This record gives sequence, C-alpha cells and structure tokens, in this order.
Amino acid sequence: MWFFNSIFGKIFEFIFIPFSKMNPWIGMAVASFLTGIFMLAIFRWTSNQEGIRNVKNKIKAHLLEIRLYKDNLSLSLKAQGNILRYNLKYVGYSAKPMVFMIIPIVLIIIQLNFWFGYESLSKGQNFILKVKLKQGYNPLHTNIVLKPSSGIIIETPPLRIEEEGEIDWRLAVAEEGSSNLQILVNGQSAIKTLTVSQNSICRISPIKVQHNIFQEILYPGEPPIKKDIPIQSIEIKYPQKRMNLFGWHIHWIIAYFILSIIFGFAFKGFLKVEI
Amino acid sequence: MTEKQIKRLKVFFILFFAIILPLKAYIGPGAGFAFLSSFLVLFLTFLLAIFSFLSWPFRFFVRMIKGQRAYKKSHINRLIILGLDGMEPALIEKFMSKGKLPNFSKLKNTGTYARLETTIPAISPVAWSSFMTGSHPCKHNIFDFLSRDPKTYLPDLSSSRVGNPKRVLSIGKYNIPLSKPEIKGLRKSIPFWKILGDKGIFSTILRVPITFPPEKFRGHLLSGMCTPDLKGSQGTFFFYTSDEEKIKKREGGINIPVTINNNSLETYISGPENTLVKTKEELRLPMKITFDNNKKDALIQVSGQKIRLKSKTFSDWIKLSFRAGLGIKVKAICRFYISQLDPHFEMYLTPLNIDPEKPALPISYPFIYSVYLAKLLGSYITLGEANDTWALNEGVLSEQAFLELSYYNHQEWENMLFNAMNKTKKGMVVSWFETTDSIQHMFFRYLDEKHPALKTGQAKMSKKVIEDLYQKMDELVGKVYNQLDDKSVLVVMSDHGFKSFRRCVNLNSWLYKNGYLSLKAGKLRSEEWFKDVDWEKTKAYGLGLGGVYINQKGRESKGIVNTGEETKALKKELIQKLNGLKDEECGAIAINKVFDRDELPPGPYKENCPDLIIGYNEGYRVSWESVTGKVNDIFFEDNTKAWSGDHCIDPRIVPGIFFINKKINTSTPSIVDIAPTTLELFGVNPPAHMDGHSLINKEIFYQAKKEGNTREKE
Repeated sequence: MWFFNSIFGKIFEFIFIPFSKMNPWIGMAVASFLTGIFMLAIFRWTSNQEGIRNVKNKIKAHLLEIRLYKDNLSLSLKAQGNILRYNLKYVGYSAKPMVFMIIPIVLIIIQLNFWFGYESLSKGQNFILKVKLKQGYNPLHTNIVLKPSSGIIIETPPLRIEEEGEIDWRLAVAEEGSSNLQILVNGQSAIKTLTVSQNSICRISPIKVQHNIFQEILYPGEPPIKKDIPIQSIEIKYPQKRMNLFGWHIHWIIAYFILSIIFGFAFKGFLKVEI
Repeated sequence: MTEKQIKRLKVFFILFFAIILPLKAYIGPGAGFAFLSSFLVLFLTFLLAIFSFLSWPFRFFVRMIKGQRAYKKSHINRLIILGLDGMEPALIEKFMSKGKLPNFSKLKNTGTYARLETTIPAISPVAWSSFMTGSHPCKHNIFDFLSRDPKTYLPDLSSSRVGNPKRVLSIGKYNIPLSKPEIKGLRKSIPFWKILGDKGIFSTILRVPITFPPEKFRGHLLSGMCTPDLKGSQGTFFFYTSDEEKIKKREGGINIPVTINNNSLETYISGPENTLVKTKEELRLPMKITFDNNKKDALIQVSGQKIRLKSKTFSDWIKLSFRAGLGIKVKAICRFYISQLDPHFEMYLTPLNIDPEKPALPISYPFIYSVYLAKLLGSYITLGEANDTWALNEGVLSEQAFLELSYYNHQEWENMLFNAMNKTKKGMVVSWFETTDSIQHMFFRYLDEKHPALKTGQAKMSKKVIEDLYQKMDELVGKVYNQLDDKSVLVVMSDHGFKSFRRCVNLNSWLYKNGYLSLKAGKLRSEEWFKDVDWEKTKAYGLGLGGVYINQKGRESKGIVNTGEETKALKKELIQKLNGLKDEECGAIAINKVFDRDELPPGPYKENCPDLIIGYNEGYRVSWESVTGKVNDIFFEDNTKAWSGDHCIDPRIVPGIFFINKKINTSTPSIVDIAPTTLELFGVNPPAHMDGHSLINKEIFYQAKKEGNTREKE
C-alpha cells in the first residue's frame, strides 16, 4: 500500500512544487482544474449521456411549459409534477458516475488535505505530539522516549493519559529546516516527520499510523509504523489552515468544491460532457 | 472468496464511505454539478409553483374585468382542424365507398362531408391564406408562391421578405449588425385565430402555410409553408457524389463532387452566406467521411460529431454549428442519407433546417414555442416545404427513401398535434399536414396509366402508395376522433384536390409565338427569368404557376401597354385565344378558362394580382420552364418528371374536401367559409370584411346547447 501511496503522493508533489511559494489559491486553482477535467472524463465515460441529455431537455421543456401555459393552472401544476419526476430521474442518472468517482475523489481529497489542510510550523512555534499506544499497552507502564532532531525542543515531560492510551508532549521549533521525531518504545523506534517551512503550500502529514490497509488509505502521508511496535498512531497537532478570500477565511474544501465545479462547467462543452 | 472475506469487504466499504462523510460528501464536479443543477431546478420549480398559485387569481381577475369571458357565448369548448393539404375528393369518395376509410366514413355519417370550393388560383399559399382570413385573394395579397417585381421583372417570394439589418457597424472585415434583420410578412388581413385570441380564446396553430414570420396573438404558433432554410431558400438539398457523370444542374439542390482516397473523403457542408463579413462569403463546415464497404456503413465526422450511418438509412437530426466570427454561431439541423457506397459514393443531405432549439430566425410565436417543442419532442423539421420533392424529382432520392423521409416528418407533426390537443381542453388546435400534398405530387402517375413519367425515371412503386397515404390519414383522423367529447368539433379539410399532370404548357412560348412576347434581336429562346426578352416590344408575360401579366405602362418599368381600354382589349384578346386552347398532339383541350382579375372578388390588393389567371384542364399545367420565365419554341410537351400530380389548374375541377362532425347549412361550402364558421362556433361575430359565411346550422347548435344545459342541470 505504501508503494501506491508514495507514487500517488509524488504525483501531487510534482504538481504542487512549482506553486509552493505562490499564493495558495494558485495551487488550489491548478488542483481544481486538473481534478475537474479528470472527473468530467470519468463522468462522460460512466454516465448515460444520452439519457441525461434527454432528461434535461424534458426538464427544460416543462419549465417552458409553465411559461407557455401560465393561464392554465392545471397544466402548470402538471408541468411542475413532471419537472420533479424528471429531476428524480436526472439524479438517478448521476448515481452511476458518482459510484465510479467516489473512490478516486476521496483519494484525491485525502492528498489535497495534506497540502491545504494544515499550516506548517515555523520558528518559535510550539505544538503537541500525541502518541497513541496499541490496545493492551498502558501508558503509565510503557517505557517511551522521545528523541527530536536538532532544532526541536521538548518543552514538557510526557503526559500519560491512561484512559486514552495516549502519551503527549509539548515541543517547540527552535530552528527551521526538515526535522523528524524519533520515538523509542520498549527499545524499538518509530520516526515521525515534522514539517517546518515558510512555503505558502507544503505537504504536511499530521498522522502516522500502524500498518493497516484502511488506515493507510486515510493517512497515506508516511510509511506505516512497523507491526511489532506497540504504537497505534503518532500525531502532530498542526494548526488548521484556511484560504483567505478577501479577508474571509474559508475551508479549503469549499474553495475546491466551488472552483472544480466552475472548471467542470467551463470545460464541459469543450470536452462534450453532458452533466 | 469466502463468506468471511465478503463480510470483511462489506465492512471495509461501509467504514470507508462512513469515514469519508467528514469530507462533506463531495463527489466530484460532474456529480456535484448534477446535484447543484437538480437543486436549482427544484428551487426554480418551487418558485414557479408559488408564483403560479399567487398570480393566477390576479390574472383570472384581470381577464374577467377585461370582459374576456371567452367561452360564455361559445357553442363549443374545443375545435380541432386538420388540414390535409391536397386531399382529393374523388379519391376519398372512391376509397370510402370501398370501405377503406372507416374513420372518414364515420365522420361523414355522424356529421357532414362535402367538396370544398377552393380559391382562384388553386395553389396552397393562396388557399390557406383564404382559409385563415375568410377572404378571397385580393384581400390577403397572396396570389401564388411567387410574385414579380414590376421594376425588374424578377420573381420575389410572395409571402415574406427577409432582409439584412438596416444599421451595421463596419469594423475591419466585419459588418456588425446593430439592428435585427428585416423580416416582413406580406400576407395581409387578419387570421381568425387573432380575432379569437382578442376575445380570450386560446389557439395552437401548427405549420399552417403563410404563417412566417409568426405574428403575435393569444396562443402558440409554429410557422409552416414558406419558412426558409438556413440558406434563405425554400429548401436546398445537397448531393455528394464521386460519379462525375452525375454532376449536372439540379433544381432545388447543390451537387458537391467528391474524390475518394483510401476509403475516405474530405468535403464540406455549404452553409449560409456570412452577413457578418463584408465579403459575404459562404460559411462552410469541413466534413470527413470514412467508409466500410464490407459493413455497408460510413463514419461521418462533422461539426465535432461522429455519426456512424448504415447505407440506405436516414440519420437522426444532426446539429450543425457554423462559425460566423466574433463568437457568433449559426445553428442548423440536417439529416444524412447514403444512397450508395460503391461503385460510386452518393449521399443526400437534407436542406439545412433552422434549428428549432436555437432558431436563427423567429419560426414560432412566442419565440420559445419552437424551443419547447424541440426539448419536449426532439428536433423536428422547420423548413416550410418540408418534404423534399425536388430531391426525388432530380433522382437524388429514391421513391422509397422519399416516402420514408416524408413519413418521418409526418410523425413529428402528429406528435406536435397530439401534444397540443392534450394541452387544449378549451380552445382551438389547427394542424396542417403537407404529407398528402407532396406524396400525391410525386406518386400521382401511378393512378394514371397513360402518364408519360411511368416510362421514364423511377417508377418502381404502384398506386398502392396513394391508397396507403389515404389510409394513414384515416388512421390519424380516427385517433383524433377518439379524443373528442360532446363539446368538441372536428374539421378535416383540404385546400384543393389533385389531378394528373401529364402535359406541360409552355405559356411564355405560346405568348412568344403569338406575338405577345418578344425576344432580343437574334434570339430564338430565352433563359431563366426572361433573360433574353425584349421588354420594349413585349405586351404580356407569364410568371409563376398560373399568372399572366400585361406589360403595362406606368406599372412595369418597361411597360408598353396603356392602362384602361388598351389593357382591357389585350386581356379580352388573350382570353379569347387561350380559352379552349387545344393540344393538337393529344386532341385535348389544354386550357378550360382564363380568369380575368377584374371579374374576381375585389379587394385592396387587386393591383398585385396577375392580370389573368389560367385555368388549365385536367392533365395539363404550366410547364417547368414557363414558371421560371424561360421561352422556347415548344408549346406542349410531356411531363416526364416524378412530380406527376398537380392542382394548379382550373379551380373548379380541383375542389378540396370538407368533413365536420356536425351538420352544416349548405352542400357547397367554400374555403373562405371556414374562418367565419370557426368564429361563429366560438360565439364571435365574423367581421364584415370576411367574404365567407358561417356554415353553422344555428338551430341544431342552439338546440344541442339547450339540451346540454338541461342535462347539466338535471
């Protein structure tokens, strides 16, 4: 799974690296454009284009019918009934391409979340590191040591929360540059990367998870923790990132949703896709 | 896969989709857009519903206070008029007597059947104009398909004029229009549906001739005969062929020679003139065709589309988009038909119809009506003269293909009719069908064993074609009849009948040989549109399907005959000579009667009427050459074209048909009586300018109304 994740991740890295120092909206526009086009192609191949075209025509016809027979209340009502009927059919026609699209789009969104979901850390900023142990391991009785790379300072001793099976530290960034955190548990070690950057967009992996196909799909940013290490996950609490739209801070997925729809709409004629 | 594994897989997918919910259930722009559109549609529908509910009482109230309590005086709720162009009484009577038309017979037995007096001349645009206005031609100004410009002696379309925009902005190579193109209807007087609409009675008028450009009234109208194609003509087909021997001048069409390389060819579709550029060059669409001779099909690539088409099969309507420049596109629809793949490639392309979804010219009232019909029922033919008779006449379409195409068109019109009927519980629906006219024009020779065209060209079918046509119309009447209620009236009518067209009369040649028309010095014949006529020595000339004009001083630009007595005397002389003109070769009378316009019912547009209208005898008609102003030395010749039936003859021998599911007050109804009858049925007094009279037997109607009211009270 990691092989797939790393290739998929590299593709996104290849796309975003040129825009890493630019305004995040540029990277977002590129991502929205590419996925918009990709999804249009999937929609075209998997949907009943003729059916969608017909059903949309019928909806438009009945909308015009309301206008044409505006003095006839019963015809207007019938037309409205027909619009609802064909609208349901239209939604039905969208169901099949949705099934085909949902897996790639989820994988894309997971990757985009690494680039647009979190703010990277900067010099002087502190953060929380959470290490969750596997079931059956008690944080109070587990020998765990944190060894950060140079430039990272451990500010507090480990906080062991027995109920959550979790051990937390507060750390701070003393120097810029790529860093990682080594965690030693019962003599075995796991390494968690830490992103400290001044780029406007950069890839941030907040969680490293245990080897498990489902977990790896959801958190594909780093290689999984080896099976014999008693750690369930290692998480760095990065600050949430927001897209700045004329002073209005919006979640990246909203921006992505709107932009990709705009691109989809703009290019549907060019790609001859009926949506 | 074990059961446990399947369970695990199911759990995985459930968890997978459950966990992605925080991703706002976003599923891509395509489906996202679909859901967004769907939501917008629901929202819009909801708004419209609210608006309809809230505004309906106000609109109802406004109608009330305007005094448009439309149906208060009406004898009926609904009137359906089926116009079956050219249905011949003699044939319908024959088929009814043989029991082949049960629905027509039922209509006759429950109501009335009569022969319907037509107009002088008996030509569709004239007759249907009289139908809708209740007036004779001198009051509605339509005397033929063509009229003539007395300044140039050149023909004009009699029904409408489409001109360029009056104001244009000239920038570089472009002429950017600042106003709409001039589209002017030339038919005068008021159609009865306009009068009904003013009284609040709603009508749907489908394809009735001479309704282009569409006029404003209370109802819906789709223009019919005389609506142009995208090239501005009355229908220009295209014939693509790799056979050099078949490249010749074809009436009504354009030949496009093609060269085949490795089972494919590259050619073009010839579009309209680009009025946006100063050079007014023709717009063209490149087209590539690749064949598969084994599969007997071809792949046509045009306007960004790929159409796979089997040989001898019509394509569906294909949308074409011509780029005029400055982002402006002109839309058309057309159908392809590959008639042959080898040894030579041959393909027919229908005239470029105005796309009803995006009409380049207004073809309906309101404008959205044509769009509505296309969205609801699919694309449909918009050309006024829809059935491509010239393609069959010129041998581009086979008889079978022509019939197939005509019945495709007919089906579209039936769909429109039944949609309108379903929507009209109160009001009027008038639907015109060209099918009867065009099929009789092209197949009438099978009813005439002596017809010269049976020996030439395509003649592979039989008289069954006409019988089938009448039976199909009978089925249509049956379907409509079954939807009638007690307060519905059904009228089935034709504007004229049909007779065999065996012999052509070269009227202009006769005028030339008898000294009324002169040719330029040294010329013994003239090409089209009087090219070699010496107007300064010409007294009379023929133009169109039945008209003779006197070359009158002060009216024609080079007129030589004085108005008044000189014109009268010339007309008298011509009438005397032409009345009873004999075709010596056949020993038959070619012209029954010449009608003097001064003896026809008067009207304000009499000046535009031909001075004389020729009433040809059965079997005769003006020749193809004479119609277009050609002159030669042959008076009479055989008609060897597939166009073998006609009605542009003595109107007294080509009456139409008239069926109504009620009793009427005369046995000799006339086409001008339909409009006043319709008004009377809806309780509206016919205006004084109408020439016709109501056919309603008021006593029967009032009695029936009284009985109905009594029944309702009980």
